[in-house]
Amino acid sequence: MSKSINILVGALGGDGGGVLCDWIVAAAQAQGLGVQATQIPGVAQRTGATTYYLEVMPAVGPRPTVLALNPAIGEVDVALATELLEAGRMIFNGFVTPDRTVLIASTHRVLSIGERAAMGDGSFDVGRLLRAVKERSKTQILFDMDQAAEESGGVINAVLLGALAGSGKLPIPDAAFEAAIREGGKSVDTNLAAFAFGRGHARGELEQAVREHRKRQSAVQGAEDLIERARKDFPVASLDIVEEGIRRLVAYQDRGYAALYLDRLKDIDPALVRDVARHLAVRMSFEDVIRVAQAKTSRERLERVRAEVRAKPHEPVEITEHFKPGNEEIAALLPPAAARWLMARPKFNISMHVRSTTIWGFARLRFLAGLRWWRPHSHRFVEEQAEIERWLQAIRSAQVLSPDLAREIAELARLVKGYGDTYARGLGNYRRISDEVIAPALAGRLAPPKAADAVANARVAALADPEGESLSRTLAAIAA
Amino acid sequence: MLDQPQLPVAQRTNPERSFKEEVRALRLGEGEIFRGEGILAVTKAILQAGVSYVGGYQGAPVSHLVDVLVESQDLLDELGVHLETCTNEASAAALLGASINYPIRGCVTWKSIVGTNVAADALSNLASPGVIGGALIVVGEDYGEGASVIQERTQAYALKSSVWLMDPRPSLPTIVHCTEKAFEFSEATNTPVMMELRIRACHVTGEFMAKDNKPPAISRNARLAEPAAHNYDRISHPPSTYAHEKLKVEVRQPAAERFIVEQGLNEFFAGDRSDLGIIVQGGITNVLMRGLDRLEVEGKIPTLVLNVTHPLVPDQIADFCKSKRAVLIVEEGSPDYIEQAIHVLLRKRDIGTKIYGKDVLPMAGEYTAEVVTEGLLKFLTLSANDIDLSAPRARFEAARAGRAEAQKMLGGPLPLRPPGFCVGCPERPVFSAIKLLEREVGKVHISSDIGCHSFATLAPFNLGNSILGFGMSLAAAGAVAPVMQKRTISVMGDGGFWHNGLLSGVASSMFNRGDRVLVIMQNGYTSATGAQFIPNTSGNRRDGETTSDIAATLKAMGVKWLRTIRTYNVATMLGSLREAMNTKEPGLKVIVADGECQLARQRRVRPQIAAQLKRGERVVRTRYGVDDEVCTGDHSCIRLSGCPSLVVKPSPDPLRTDPVASVNNGCVGCGLCGEVADAAVLCPSFYEADIVQNATWWDRLVWRIRSSVIGALAHG
Repeated sequence: MSKSINILVGALGGDGGGVLCDWIVAAAQAQGLGVQATQIPGVAQRTGATTYYLEVMPAVGPRPTVLALNPAIGEVDVALATELLEAGRMIFNGFVTPDRTVLIASTHRVLSIGERAAMGDGSFDVGRLLRAVKERSKTQILFDMDQAAEESGGVINAVLLGALAGSGKLPIPDAAFEAAIREGGKSVDTNLAAFAFGRGHARGELEQAVREHRKRQSAVQGAEDLIERARKDFPVASLDIVEEGIRRLVAYQDRGYAALYLDRLKDIDPALVRDVARHLAVRMSFEDVIRVAQAKTSRERLERVRAEVRAKPHEPVEITEHFKPGNEEIAALLPPAAARWLMARPKFNISMHVRSTTIWGFARLRFLAGLRWWRPHSHRFVEEQAEIERWLQAIRSAQVLSPDLAREIAELARLVKGYGDTYARGLGNYRRISDEVIAPALAGRLAPPKAADAVANARVAALADPEGESLSRTLAAIAA
Repeated sequence: MLDQPQLPVAQRTNPERSFKEEVRALRLGEGEIFRGEGILAVTKAILQAGVSYVGGYQGAPVSHLVDVLVESQDLLDELGVHLETCTNEASAAALLGASINYPIRGCVTWKSIVGTNVAADALSNLASPGVIGGALIVVGEDYGEGASVIQERTQAYALKSSVWLMDPRPSLPTIVHCTEKAFEFSEATNTPVMMELRIRACHVTGEFMAKDNKPPAISRNARLAEPAAHNYDRISHPPSTYAHEKLKVEVRQPAAERFIVEQGLNEFFAGDRSDLGIIVQGGITNVLMRGLDRLEVEGKIPTLVLNVTHPLVPDQIADFCKSKRAVLIVEEGSPDYIEQAIHVLLRKRDIGTKIYGKDVLPMAGEYTAEVVTEGLLKFLTLSANDIDLSAPRARFEAARAGRAEAQKMLGGPLPLRPPGFCVGCPERPVFSAIKLLEREVGKVHISSDIGCHSFATLAPFNLGNSILGFGMSLAAAGAVAPVMQKRTISVMGDGGFWHNGLLSGVASSMFNRGDRVLVIMQNGYTSATGAQFIPNTSGNRRDGETTSDIAATLKAMGVKWLRTIRTYNVATMLGSLREAMNTKEPGLKVIVADGECQLARQRRVRPQIAAQLKRGERVVRTRYGVDDEVCTGDHSCIRLSGCPSLVVKPSPDPLRTDPVASVNNGCVGCGLCGEVADAAVLCPSFYEADIVQNATWWDRLVWRIRSSVIGALAHG
């Protein structure tokens, strides 16, 4: 008696893994092949991981008394995954093996909740996943099936079915799979289109354009001479960043402010310029109400929103912005003395839902954006400049002792971001690390290499949890 | 924010899915081929066996049995089968009481172990007098991968109540045969029969030859003129109960042993190694067979497949074992009831066969392919060193070594993907509000419950201190609240409220003057099990009238502090929670968090919207978005909501590395992200976009005028 072809499917709730199995079962039955499928569907909700397992006999004829209900390590012939981490999970669990398994997987990532909730970049290393995918399976059919589904107007399960058909691993002709889709009776046309896409990719008949995440450069006129100056003063490897910094700050404030940016970078160690320039530009373009208004009233923004929400060209779109300014945001715009008075008042916040696609709503935002000229007189501006100078001073002092320490101090600027409580928390953490690690290091009470590690550890700890528990533990360990 | 008015009565239809195909399968007649899943095959089999009544309480993996029948009302009416969608498993078990006095067949179903726990009282009282009509309980044995409940065995109940337990080999013809035989088994022994199906068996696909459905002789359509004559023997009350106990062991069990043998319920797979043997629970057979196949000894070792795991037939077991040197018992879960029983019965008969079981297989945990293969390797090594296992052993070890290598390459555990709340779920905002409340008052003891809301115990909320069972969260805070400076919060679903919470929780708390906070998630269905109807669903499946209102029920119970709040309004929810925590008013404080299950809602409204669009009517589509230029990538919004459509993407800013938040196209426009950003004062990145589809000329005119002015004002 011949052995069954064993198929394992890893999917996410909502990917249609159950329907995919139904199609395979129906197609196999139509060919008179023995087939059995079962599943661990998870709960009714549309999130967690789900698995399906099928066994298909390779030919018509007697079948074993029983087909198995559980996949076994080293005994899977075809592994299908609707997402890259789920492919990784099947490998991690030992089901995908280099002697036997054809791995058919989508290369796109759907980040898990833990990866998304991280305070910085918490995503799993895709390079590792891809390496395991390639080295731990016999052959692979890999492409971005999410993108293929979108291009074909269908759903990912039909793309995956097409890829399975295209792999030629099952003794089932394309027509039988297509008939199964037709029999299913739901969204037949788009599913058939998606099936054809998947098959085409599997057979190498279709090429997929790489979907890239483009970085957007600030568009600004009149910074050419500053850029020219930067090209003379700074290493070539740092210029893309420095030039973007210049453009950013001209748009954010003015040419004078961008010139200040270049002045501030002047005595930074050339090896550190790139890192420092990046953080310095972000710090100098701190997020105040004016900047938010600038962003929300820029010319490209409306088109970007329309594209993101997939509005058709003739469909009007109304946008309502969610703001909740309070005394902090208002104080940030006032002269320092008035700001200090306001900050001493009880904390308040006002909910504002501004309809920025109405003339009045847009005009109000435009007015705020127009306050750019006033910014240098504002309390927040004064505070930020002082904070930036202290940070630069620390970097300058550190670069003499150890470039690594200086780089870590520069990198620490990552903590200072966001708005409201997030900003306050980040700044608080930043100051704690400055006071408890950097200050002693610069005063010679901590060896520079040790200090560089300590700053890095403290930064990672500060990004580990919003309550600051990890940071407290780490700082205590450093002090000990 | 999502505009979600209360629906008119009878507009909420079963939203989970349509069972048209399944309903058709139930109508198949003699000689036709049935194709489908295990649990549907059971449903067909009970109709073929001529049941008069069916009942149950939903829970994976057996929900489908009742769900499909709910959609098959026409068929049930034709056959005269009564269907009771019970409010809990005790109610379902009590339903079988009909078979105590009347020769009618009935079947009920629930998820085990939890459902059997709830049903236990009625079950004992059913098993004691016994039945004259066949009584079958189909339990979903929720054990191993994918299980959502505590890991215990149903076997314990079968043993203690003297109820027979079938564990059929997962193949459709066997499952169907066992189902049909179960009724005869029950009638021949006056004993209720349980049949357990594991998750994979419920979902296994296959075929069998159908028979005609059998209209029951006594039914809704053929009613009895007179009730049964009074017979005190049929009542589980002393002194009858003393007689019942004797009957169980002296009459019913021997009858059962005879029936099992005569009907050949257990299967015997022959093998040429007469000195060895394996005894396996029917439900584990497939795993075992594949393991033997893998070790290249398939067909070699005689195997006794126990499709009935209680009672065991001592003669059958003894006959199987007595001429053998060694026998392996493959019995999943603990305690090892079967292995112990076999040891005892062999000892009593002085049969010296060496028994292996939990010494080569693990005491706890699912018997996966790997676990069973490893156990077989150990068993064969210890008992049959003449079999050369070197090649298969090497392959098995190589697969394991390969896995270790792969795990090293991947570098540690992969991110988990736990289940969570759906996009737009009305329960999520309540937990966002509780998180914000904790920012103000510090950590609070949260007593969690069974239902979708139990996902709040997982990331990103990580809220909840205990789960004590379905509808138990308020009762479970009973002795915590008195020792706590801050009030406790119990969270309960409307499903749990009707299942148990109303009496075990609310009545008890009121009676004891408990000073606690209870949040009831009123989403209108038992959503976690597939959106089945419950008493407060607006629109009973029979007449379209809502059965019972939760707030009115609570008032009638004497609850004084009661608020009903639309869940999506985080600020109001937070305000009410704050008030409930701080008010001077003593006693139970209840917040009814109202919002229809979004999964159900989407299934209902999507076709309506599609139809409106097709007719050319104006439809406004709302969704939310994040300005990637304004977002700084802290992801507080994700930690406070966890919405699956709130994702991250690489920052478009050449100077920033942290990924930014983004709303994907799964967004249903519930507005929670905006509400949370507002209530938690997060950031100004969120916007609401209302896309006007099939815009009127007026919409377009206004839009054009606005666009031209805005275009002139914009900068950049």
